[in-house]
Amino acid sequence: MRQKKIYPYLLIAPALLFISAVTLYPTLFSVYLSMNRSRRGTLEFVGLRNFEILFGSSNFWDSFRLTAIYGILFVTLVMIFAFILALIFNRGVRFGGLYMSIIFIPWMLSEIVSSVMFRWMFLPEIGIAQRLLGPLFNDITFLGHPSGALGVVLGATIWRSVAFAMLLILAGLQTIPGEMSEAAAIDGATRWQAFWKVTWPLVLPTTQVTIIFLTIQAINAAGMFLSITNGGPGRATEVLSLYMYREAIVFFNFGFGAALAVMLFLINASLAVVYIRSLRSQVSYG
Amino acid sequence: MSAINTKIAKARMEASARQSGGGGFNWRKLSPIGLHIFLIVLCLVVLFPIVYTFLASLRPQGFGLTRDLLPTDGFYFGHYERLLSTPRFLRNIFNSAVNSLGGAVFTTVIAASAGYAFARLKFVGRNFLLTFILGMMLLPGLTNLIPLFKLASDLEILDTYLVMILVYGTFGIPFGIWIMKGFYETIPREMEEAAAVDGATPVQALLYVVVPMSLPGLVSVFMINFVYNWNDFLTALILLSSTAMKTATVGLFDFQNQLTGNNNELLNAAAILIMIPGIFIFMFARKAFLQGMVEGAVKG
Repeated sequence: MRQKKIYPYLLIAPALLFISAVTLYPTLFSVYLSMNRSRRGTLEFVGLRNFEILFGSSNFWDSFRLTAIYGILFVTLVMIFAFILALIFNRGVRFGGLYMSIIFIPWMLSEIVSSVMFRWMFLPEIGIAQRLLGPLFNDITFLGHPSGALGVVLGATIWRSVAFAMLLILAGLQTIPGEMSEAAAIDGATRWQAFWKVTWPLVLPTTQVTIIFLTIQAINAAGMFLSITNGGPGRATEVLSLYMYREAIVFFNFGFGAALAVMLFLINASLAVVYIRSLRSQVSYG
Repeated sequence: MSAINTKIAKARMEASARQSGGGGFNWRKLSPIGLHIFLIVLCLVVLFPIVYTFLASLRPQGFGLTRDLLPTDGFYFGHYERLLSTPRFLRNIFNSAVNSLGGAVFTTVIAASAGYAFARLKFVGRNFLLTFILGMMLLPGLTNLIPLFKLASDLEILDTYLVMILVYGTFGIPFGIWIMKGFYETIPREMEEAAAVDGATPVQALLYVVVPMSLPGLVSVFMINFVYNWNDFLTALILLSSTAMKTATVGLFDFQNQLTGNNNELLNAAAILIMIPGIFIFMFARKAFLQGMVEGAVKG
């Protein structure tokens, strides 16, 4: 009997141990680090000084604004594309599985592999995307232009993420019974009305979940920015996550980098709470 | 009741279709061709960066810069031959394989055992622990990388297979537990009860009855994590520093940054080679992947 009581905990123990050591402890440790200044390898406690410097620095606010602009554009555009595709696949198309597999390929690529491809397409003067799209945008060299470089990263990240968002929305759409829209049709609803009055409210919780998921992804997109633009030109594409990476790993400012990590963590954690809440509300629909 | 409703609905819709037939716009009949054209164009756009990169990798050094989309001078496989005979590139690939495999095995074993407890057993703190573990899934590894770097450097395990396997393995655990829990729940309880009647201990029942039956779940956790680890770039970039230990993705990043401008074709060939394992596994197990990802994100 005693043995039976311990058994579940024995099964869970390794998972808890490693999650605590590799995820939980570093998170707490970063809070501690954020209150220290690192000097020649030793830490010196400075309280909230790092955060004071952070909030007083224009670099932080520039990165913050940039992250917000990128995040809003990324989430909006991905959601539009993903929704259209999900509606198509939900309706049922021949060879749907084949189309879906192809659309999923970018999601299976490493960030750095995607970066090589996009930098090649936007290679100044030579890349095919640079030559075709340049004339539409005042002949700018995309990777050398502040908004242009942001646009390239935006394009690459949308390219990678649409399929995944589409899959989530599709899963939501498929839980809606077919009778619902048929019932709406009896009542004389047009397709458009049926969508807004029947489908939309039912798919809203999944949409919320997808939006939060994409937002978390946007906030943490350091890898794509690092490998495509490296924050350039100048600091024009140095989003918060990349700013953090630079400070801590390149300049060895652990305390300052950790302060940035704590800020990012707080943003992520509050989004995670919203995510769990909207999942709970979704359960009540099922 | 709903069956009757459905029948009524169908009858009415047919009636209304008849009414609006004739000169009216028939959305249902017309759209499939339009949809296919739309989807085919979309697929071409999606594949274009990969194809464009691949075509350039098949041209001699400097020839990619001639702006022609298709090679005018035949295919050149020299870059692939050169990469596959460069010890440093092969070493990077080997490192990627060790870290990805090690991490995926680690995740699968730990998630398989914890997932079972959450799926089948009742214990104090079950819901709290499950929420805690799944909550960890929503905290991306990114903000942890700085303290992890500091910790690993204090423990002197930076730049080793050990640290990569531990970090990769642990990052995958919450997602793995979720998939396995869902999978175990589909296995009828009677199987374990029968084993218990035959005198098997709970551990034996788990190892000899439940685990073999949940092989598809284990395989999908393993594969999703393998691909994730293989493609990882930022974690490896931060935790590895020596040329001998770097993974393929970090090697590719270094190569891209050291590019002098005239060996784009070689860089493209390297990107294509590094891309292959992920794509191959995805194509091989598409269904497990898509299902696993939906369950991990929507129900997690």
